[in-house]
Amino acid sequence: MKNKEEVLEMEICECGEKTVAQAIEIMQNTSLPFKKAKKLVTECNKSCCRVALMKIYDMKDFGRFDYDEIAYVIEQRLERLKRLSEGE
Amino acid sequence: MKYDYEWDRLKTWLDQYGAIDDSVTSPEQITRLDLSAKSLKEIPEWIGILSKLLVLNLSNNKLSSLPESMKNLQSLRNLDIRRNNFEILPDLLGSLNIIALNASGNKLRKIDILKFAKELRVLDVSGNVLGSIENFLAPINQLRTLNLSSNLIKDMRAFLPYLSYLERFNMSNNLLSEIPKEIESLDSIEELDFSSNKIEKIDSAFFDLEVEIVDLSANNLKELHLYSLESLEELTLDENSFSVLCIEDYFAPYLREFSCDSCSLKEFLLPPSESLELLCYSSNEITSIPDAIAQYTKLTHLDIEENDIQELPHSLANLVYLQTFYALGNPLSEDAKKVVEVLSPDICDLNMKSGITVEHATIEDLSQMAKLLAVLFAIEKDFQIDFEKQLLGIQTLFKDNRTDLLVAKYENSVVGMITMQRLISSAEGGYIGQIEDLVVDEKYRKMGVGSRLINKMRVIAQEYKYKRIQLAADIDNSNALEFYNRRGFNKTNLNVYHYSV
Repeated sequence: MKNKEEVLEMEICECGEKTVAQAIEIMQNTSLPFKKAKKLVTECNKSCCRVALMKIYDMKDFGRFDYDEIAYVIEQRLERLKRLSEGE
Repeated sequence: MKYDYEWDRLKTWLDQYGAIDDSVTSPEQITRLDLSAKSLKEIPEWIGILSKLLVLNLSNNKLSSLPESMKNLQSLRNLDIRRNNFEILPDLLGSLNIIALNASGNKLRKIDILKFAKELRVLDVSGNVLGSIENFLAPINQLRTLNLSSNLIKDMRAFLPYLSYLERFNMSNNLLSEIPKEIESLDSIEELDFSSNKIEKIDSAFFDLEVEIVDLSANNLKELHLYSLESLEELTLDENSFSVLCIEDYFAPYLREFSCDSCSLKEFLLPPSESLELLCYSSNEITSIPDAIAQYTKLTHLDIEENDIQELPHSLANLVYLQTFYALGNPLSEDAKKVVEVLSPDICDLNMKSGITVEHATIEDLSQMAKLLAVLFAIEKDFQIDFEKQLLGIQTLFKDNRTDLLVAKYENSVVGMITMQRLISSAEGGYIGQIEDLVVDEKYRKMGVGSRLINKMRVIAQEYKYKRIQLAADIDNSNALEFYNRRGFNKTNLNVYHYSV
C-alpha cells in the first residue's frame, strides 16, 4: 500500500500530465462544477481519467481525502489498460 | 457452563483485530462485523458459529477464498468482499440468503454461482475482469441494483432477459458496441449508465423503456434519432462525435436535463420538453442560438462555452430563472454581451475573475482583513463595526499558533477571508476547529471564493485530525445559512449566548 506522499506523486492524467497533488490543488482552487473543473486538470475533453478525478472532486467537497481510494482507482485504470493492450 | 472451544478461539482472533469489545460474551451477540483493511489472507473456520451475523465487511484484505463453515451463516444479508484477490466467487455464496453483495475490485472472471443467490437485491461486481459472461442470475430473482462497470464485457444479451425488476444498472466503462433488443426486458428500470463504452448502435426497443436517467456519454455514436422515452428526465450524450443527431417532436416530454458537450454539433437542438432546467452544449461548433430558446421558461443552467457563437437572441433575457450561464470561448459581439448584462445570471463565467488565489494570511494582510470584517458585522446584529478592535482581534489571532487565517487575494488585495481556532471538545474527546469570520467582498461573490476558503480550511482541519469543525451564523443571514447547509454543515440544537466580562 502506498503512503500519502507516494499517492500525491502518482500521475492521474496523461493528457494534462498532472499528478494527484496538482489535481487536488486545481480542484481546491475552483468552485466550478465537475465537468468544468475536470477540464482545468486534463486540458482536454476526453474522459480517460474521469473516475479518479471525480473521486477527488467529491472528496474536495466532502472535505476529506482518502488517498488509498485515489491510488486504487488510478491503479485499477492502469491495470485495465494493460489488459486491453494485451488483447483481453 | 460448558467450555466452548470454537468461540474461545474465534473471540481471541476477533479481539486481535479489535472487531469486538469486552461486552460480547457469546457468538449470538454478534450481528455486525467489520474486518476491513486488516491484511487478512484467510478467515478462520470458527466464523461459522456466528449464527446471528447479518452484516460482514471483509473489504480491503488479501482474501482469495472463504471458509466452508460460512455456509452456516444463514442470517447473513450483507457481505462486502470488495478489493480482495478473489478470482472466482466462492460456491458457498449460493447457499446463503444474501441481499447485498459487494465484490468489486477483485479479479473475478466468473460469477455464475450467483444463479443460486435468489434473494440478491444489490450486486456490485465492478472493477473486475468479467469478459464473456453467460447468464449469472436465477430465472426469477429480486435484483434491483446492478453495477458491472469497469469490466471487459462486450455483450449483455445473455443476462438482460433476467433483469425485469432491475431499477439501477451501471454498465459504464466496458466494451459494449451496441444496446441490443434484449434491453426491452428491463421493465422496471429507472437509471441506466452506459457511458465510456464503444456503443455505435442502439436497438429501437431502448426507446420504449420507462427509464428516467440515461448516460450514454463517451461512446462511438454517430447517428441518433431521439424519440419516445416518455419517462426520461435526464440524458447525457457528451463526447460522442455525431454526424446526425435528431430530436423528434414526441421525445421525452418531461426531460429536465439534456447534455451534449463535445459532440461535434453544428446546430443548437431544442428538445420539446417544457420542463427543461439544464441545457449543455459546450465544446461544439454551434454558431447561433434560436429565438425559441425562450420557450424553456424553467431553465436554470445554460452552457454554451467554447462554440462559435457571435450573437445571442434577445429572447434569452426572458429566461428569468436562469442562474448559471457559461459562455466563455465564443466570439460574442457587444450586442450579445448586453443581452448577458440584462439576463444578469447569478453565476456567469464572463463575469468571473481569474487569478483569485487562496493562501495563508501574512502580516501585511491584517489591516485589509480587519476592514473586510466590517462587511460581515454590518449583517451580524450582535457585533459592532470598530476597525481598531477588529484589527486588534485579527492581530491576536495571527500571533496565536493554534489558529489558521486564510485570505482570498486578487491583484494583491484581500477579497475574502476565513479563520479557524483550535478548541478542545469534551464531547468529541479531542481537538475541534472553530470557524469564524468567513466573508467575501461583495464584488467578488458568486465566483466560488467562499467555497474555496471553506474547502481549504476543511482540508487543514483534516491534516490536524480535528474531530469536527463548527461555526455560528447570524439567523438573519439567509445566504450564509444556505451556504453552510449546501456544504454539509448540520444545524445543531444549541443556542449561542454571550456575556460581557
